Amino acid sequence: MVEQGEIRVVRCGGSTINYRKAIFTLDSKYLLCTSGDMVKVYSTATEECVHVLQGHTNLVTGIALNPTNHLQVYSCSMDGTIKLWDFTDNILIKTFTVGYKLLALYTSKAHEGCVFVIIPKENDEALDSFQLVAVRLPKSSDQEVAATELSFVLNDVSQLPKCTSYGREGEFVASVKGLHLTVYFFRNQKTYRLSLNATPKKGANNIFTCVACHPKEDCIATGHEDGKIRLWRNFNRKKEYTHSTHHWHHSAVNDLSFTPEGTNLLSGGIESVLVQWRYGEETKKDFLPRLGAAIAHISTSPEGSLYCTSHSDNKITIIQSNLRVSAVIQGLVKGDNIKTDLMIDPRTKALVLNGKPGHLQFYSLQHDKQLYNLDIVQQEYINQSGLHQFDVVKAAFDAQGSWLATVEERKEKLADLEIQLKIWVYKDEMQSFVLNTTITSPHEDHITALCFCNTNETTMLVTTGRDGRFKAWVLGDDSDIYRESVCWSCDFVGTYHNLLATNCCFSEDGSLLAVGFEQIITIWNPNTWDLVCTFCQPPGKIKDLCFGRLSCSKYLLGTTTNSFLCCWNLLTCTLEWSVGLNVILLQLDPLSENVAAFSCAAENSDLFVFRPNEPRPVYLQKNICQGSVQRAVFTPRDVPEENCSESSQWLNRSQLYFLTRDMDLMTFSTKTEEDRLTSSSKQLLIEENVPVTPFYLLLGKHRQAKLDAENGTLAAQVQLPQGSVAIKELLQTPAHVLPSATFLCTMFVNSLLISKDGKSEVPEEAEEEMESEKEEDETSDQEMDSQHKVKPEYFVEELVPKLSKKEERDLKRVRKTDYSWLCPFYGKLP
Amino acid sequence: MATDGGSSVFVSPCAFSPKSHQYLALSTQDGSLRVWDTQSNTLYQEYVPSAHLSATCTCLAWGPCRTFKDGPQRKKRKSEVAQHGGQLDLLALGTAAGTVLLYSTVKGQLHSKLDGGHDSKVNCVRWHPENNSLYSCSDDSHIVEWDLQTGKVKCKWKADKCAVSCLCLSPDGKMLLSAGQTIKMWDLETKEVYRRFTGHATAVSMLCFANTRPPTRGMEGLYFLSGAAHDRMLSVWQVRSDGKDKNAVLSFTLTDEPIYVDLAMSQSKDEAVKLAVVCKDNQMHLFEHVLNGHCKKPLSPSCSVQVASPGSVGDSVPWPVPIMAAALTIDKQALLLAYGSGLQPVIERTTLNAGETHVCLVRDIQASLTLRTETTVTKVKTPTVKADAKLLVPGLPGHSAPNKSTPLETKRKPGSDTKEMSIEERLGVIDLSPVEGHKGVHKGGLPLQTDSFAVLLVQGLESSDSNILNKVFQTKKEVLIKKTVARLPIPAVLPLVQELSKRMQGHPYSGVLMVRWLKAVFTFHASYLSTLPSLVSQLGVLYHMIESRVKMFHKLSRLHGKLYLLITQIAATDKSHSVAALDQTAKLVYEEDSSEEEEEGTGDEMLAEEEDSDHWEEEEEMKEVTERSDKGEEHSDEEMNMENKLNGDSDLEPDNESEEE
Repeated sequence: MVEQGEIRVVRCGGSTINYRKAIFTLDSKYLLCTSGDMVKVYSTATEECVHVLQGHTNLVTGIALNPTNHLQVYSCSMDGTIKLWDFTDNILIKTFTVGYKLLALYTSKAHEGCVFVIIPKENDEALDSFQLVAVRLPKSSDQEVAATELSFVLNDVSQLPKCTSYGREGEFVASVKGLHLTVYFFRNQKTYRLSLNATPKKGANNIFTCVACHPKEDCIATGHEDGKIRLWRNFNRKKEYTHSTHHWHHSAVNDLSFTPEGTNLLSGGIESVLVQWRYGEETKKDFLPRLGAAIAHISTSPEGSLYCTSHSDNKITIIQSNLRVSAVIQGLVKGDNIKTDLMIDPRTKALVLNGKPGHLQFYSLQHDKQLYNLDIVQQEYINQSGLHQFDVVKAAFDAQGSWLATVEERKEKLADLEIQLKIWVYKDEMQSFVLNTTITSPHEDHITALCFCNTNETTMLVTTGRDGRFKAWVLGDDSDIYRESVCWSCDFVGTYHNLLATNCCFSEDGSLLAVGFEQIITIWNPNTWDLVCTFCQPPGKIKDLCFGRLSCSKYLLGTTTNSFLCCWNLLTCTLEWSVGLNVILLQLDPLSENVAAFSCAAENSDLFVFRPNEPRPVYLQKNICQGSVQRAVFTPRDVPEENCSESSQWLNRSQLYFLTRDMDLMTFSTKTEEDRLTSSSKQLLIEENVPVTPFYLLLGKHRQAKLDAENGTLAAQVQLPQGSVAIKELLQTPAHVLPSATFLCTMFVNSLLISKDGKSEVPEEAEEEMESEKEEDETSDQEMDSQHKVKPEYFVEELVPKLSKKEERDLKRVRKTDYSWLCPFYGKLP
Repeated sequence: MATDGGSSVFVSPCAFSPKSHQYLALSTQDGSLRVWDTQSNTLYQEYVPSAHLSATCTCLAWGPCRTFKDGPQRKKRKSEVAQHGGQLDLLALGTAAGTVLLYSTVKGQLHSKLDGGHDSKVNCVRWHPENNSLYSCSDDSHIVEWDLQTGKVKCKWKADKCAVSCLCLSPDGKMLLSAGQTIKMWDLETKEVYRRFTGHATAVSMLCFANTRPPTRGMEGLYFLSGAAHDRMLSVWQVRSDGKDKNAVLSFTLTDEPIYVDLAMSQSKDEAVKLAVVCKDNQMHLFEHVLNGHCKKPLSPSCSVQVASPGSVGDSVPWPVPIMAAALTIDKQALLLAYGSGLQPVIERTTLNAGETHVCLVRDIQASLTLRTETTVTKVKTPTVKADAKLLVPGLPGHSAPNKSTPLETKRKPGSDTKEMSIEERLGVIDLSPVEGHKGVHKGGLPLQTDSFAVLLVQGLESSDSNILNKVFQTKKEVLIKKTVARLPIPAVLPLVQELSKRMQGHPYSGVLMVRWLKAVFTFHASYLSTLPSLVSQLGVLYHMIESRVKMFHKLSRLHGKLYLLITQIAATDKSHSVAALDQTAKLVYEEDSSEEEEEGTGDEMLAEEEDSDHWEEEEEMKEVTERSDKGEEHSDEEMNMENKLNGDSDLEPDNESEEE
């Protein structure tokens, strides 16, 4: 996108975090999850986002830890690249360009230097045919490498990552699609295809939804559309496979996961209950109910102490292995559509919109963090598809934030509409909202709009309904001898020729009320409830309506469905100007005269900022996003900006946020703001120096003392046999490939001898190696690369024991001495 | 000096995070550190240092925090790789053992432990605004400069003869203030004393710079504040080039020793410094002053804030709620207050009216505490729903507009006047009505019963005694009601109508009773009611209610009809089933074979059963016979026809047989 002038459209948080399975790091301290075209690293202890790995240009579709280095992570994206990151320091190490759209990523310990991805056949997603391929990652020191060596593994797999799983030690891969389970063994390259009958019984639906492989045994667990879980065994022998069925979920099993030791199987679905099945005795189950929303993904930490579930409401719950929720990472809850407007709570300056079903969420835009959900409906939400429940559809705050009006609706197909209007007061004493008045069925049909009167003297709420009425509610005295209280009651019901009332809006001083009835705008005096005048306009229903502010308070703006933006002068009661513009959203800045109008033309949205007194826009930006803008809101800034240039002055006092069609929250940022941010992001380098724990004091010190003693007395002590590389080799090599004992004898004896130069440095050396590795991780990516380069070669050598033993030994000695020589230099090198 | 200055009552150290005041860090008496989210008012983190009892936290300071969450993320632009390596939101804690801990709120764990600087209690820690350094002072009279990159002591020097109680760094990071016996200003480059100030008689508990350094001259024109234990004054000092800066330039009066000070620095010369000071007596004072040189008279606060519990509910006496910390928000308009207990503080954002000098905020801590129990994990706040919340259903007054017809619209305001007038009238009526009632008694002796009912009703209406009214309204006799209403004095009609409409809103059952009364009222007093000017508003409520209830009538009657149909159908099928069942039992018994089988099966009961079966058989046969005979008698004609037909058939049969043959 071309940068236009000084103002840019930026994404401002609230991104999706539940798109793919989140993964734990090896030490369970961090949780990595995909979020749009980024990968976010969260701390599992504090729920705080520690790093954001940015670099992909399209949706990130999969992440997996590097099996050879647990401080690195691979990510794959729709942009056709696989990137290797160091997530502790937020460094992009390498980019592998594959050239296909990548839909899922798997790594396996058994397949060194190779990752598995799912790609669409012929790189065309429309074909709806996908295949699993292995990508050999070339070893090269370059930052950007083209990985072209693809080898085909499985054909016709599901594009969802949870439909493919790697088995014990990466020996086989299991993939499900439709009614088939396919198992592919890497060793003998055989494919087994197990199928289920389409519908053996009425009401049963056997379609596979997900698969998980047992980490230690040859067992595959599959989840099904009808809520059944099947455990497959003996699948490597044709016709002899067995499966057992377990049924708890009433609807589709969304995800399955084995714990790392394979003792438990976790499953979840729309019921939002995490079920823990004991492996081997599946009748024993543990449940963690009421997780809030349907479970989409489940993953476990490598050490098994934590589980995490991703939920459909953009939330990740971190659960301890004893099934207690320890943390909740909550993003902005975004449903399919947001029924309430975006609002700003005047009290906390938080963004308010629909949250969990039946709740309003308060979201801090400054810190990109959900503050809390306010339970409006106060009914237990039942997670079941096809159930109609109360939901908040409209809400409004008054200017001071002391009153909140909410509308909740429940509509079932054949029954009547149930509507409740609740008016809440913010009680300072209790620091919370308190219900003041509940009005059941305030209108006989859907409420289309509601707004508070802005003045201080009168508190009035106006609601308009599709029953052709608008009602004014006023705060009145409801005291009796027992208590003093206030409550809301209806003051006026207005109609106009039985037309549907669609919009309402108060003027800034509260002296006029504009109500839109389909094509006609009526202006009322809220004091006497006289109809002051009506405005008719070129035919077309009114979409938006608002009064001008401050110096433009004599204007009334309206937009119609047939692409007109009109401005009336209230003093002369005439049309001041009108523009043919397909405005989909009109938003007023509460702190200035500016009005933002979003228009949609040809799949792209444009923004026009103007003042009502002149039809010429103050600012114009085309192509702010794809699709039409859903909602928008102006938020007041804490500290006014000082933008001198004319085009960005409208952003000085408030900031404009909007929601795109894809439910991304975007904002406009000015150059000065960015400069300020980049200048302030000066970072502090502070050495991490965690003090020793009491456990270390007990054990570590003891061990260190022992080590010192060993070094002090020198040599006389025999090294532990395990310490020697040769012995290790000897013990690890399978017996049938070992040479004769006589041959080994010399080697063994040699290893027991104390070498002249090294003496007892061997264990130290190993330690140093470890340390240097750590340092390398922390210092810079260059060193990381070199180390990375060295390492695979090392492994390759180990994997190919083709050399004769003598040669090998010589080589080993050379290497050993080499290393000990190199080590000090290595450390000293700048 | 330090010992008597060291506060006898433990004041838990607390601090708001800088800039956006997102968090409040609070160290409690047991040494655990709690970080509260100020926006959602929930516990954000809790950390207990491993040596929290032996090395209790004595002071804490926030390091430079991330301003925003990485700022707005750049969209569709290849970002510079690792432009920032991750901020950690560090919090420095000084402990009683002389160590300094750095806690990262992002990681939720200890980041670093700085050891080997002090031998005694750390009194104050301060971050350098730019470098990677941290300053701490201790009871051992030393100041230590820490290099955070290495975690080692960079510099350590003796600053005073006795304990150094407080530190402060100048906003540009070049100067350091320390307070021991006197207040000293150090040049950080040379580590030499730049200036000395007299200081306070007791241990200085706080130091704070009030403005940024004017760019022209050296250190001149720099102001700073100091407060001390047991001192009800905040002194302001000015650094002057002429050396006449030994004494304080001005002072702010307080009600007690200051425990928390937040200051909004003045950026320019004319801008006032805003100051929020929390005192030990649970008051918070706001000051606003333009710093321009000497001022002899101590300045008093522009506003004082106290927090108190509402006394009225349970405990009768309102008690003051301690304020722990206060901070001015970035826009300097609002105020962030933390009050309550150290275990569960309440953090509130308030805007104070400019005019008021004394503000008492009534806050129910208990109620807000109970609200916040589960919020930390679930992040759901449940707003309070009390029983006394008003519920408006269609039909109740207030659900719909009070008046409908437009002509009365204009009379709305005068109407309210007449209503007030009518109280006088009503008083007059009260005087009149009993007299009339008595007259009635005197006049008609015969219909005593009804008459006394009318009197009772009038009395009930006047005193609005629900007992009397209940008694009266419970009659169901139409005649009685009619007569009572007929004899009702005119002024009592309107109260009666009001009472009736009020009672109509109650239980639907009572509505049935009330309708009779209303009918009677309308038949007897229609002429009077029509003369009333406020008729529409009086009866409007009634009208709305009846309308809304009638609106449902159509649907209800339909539902009733359907249900009736359904129930009767079910009942009918049940009946037919039961009949069928009876038949079946009879048939079962009729089966001869079965009985025979049983006979074969069981030897002993054979005889009895045989007899039984015989009896049954006979009976059945008898029945059949009688039925046949009945039928035969009744439909003899038909049978005749049938027989004819049969005959006809039989005529045909032989043919068929022949064919078969």
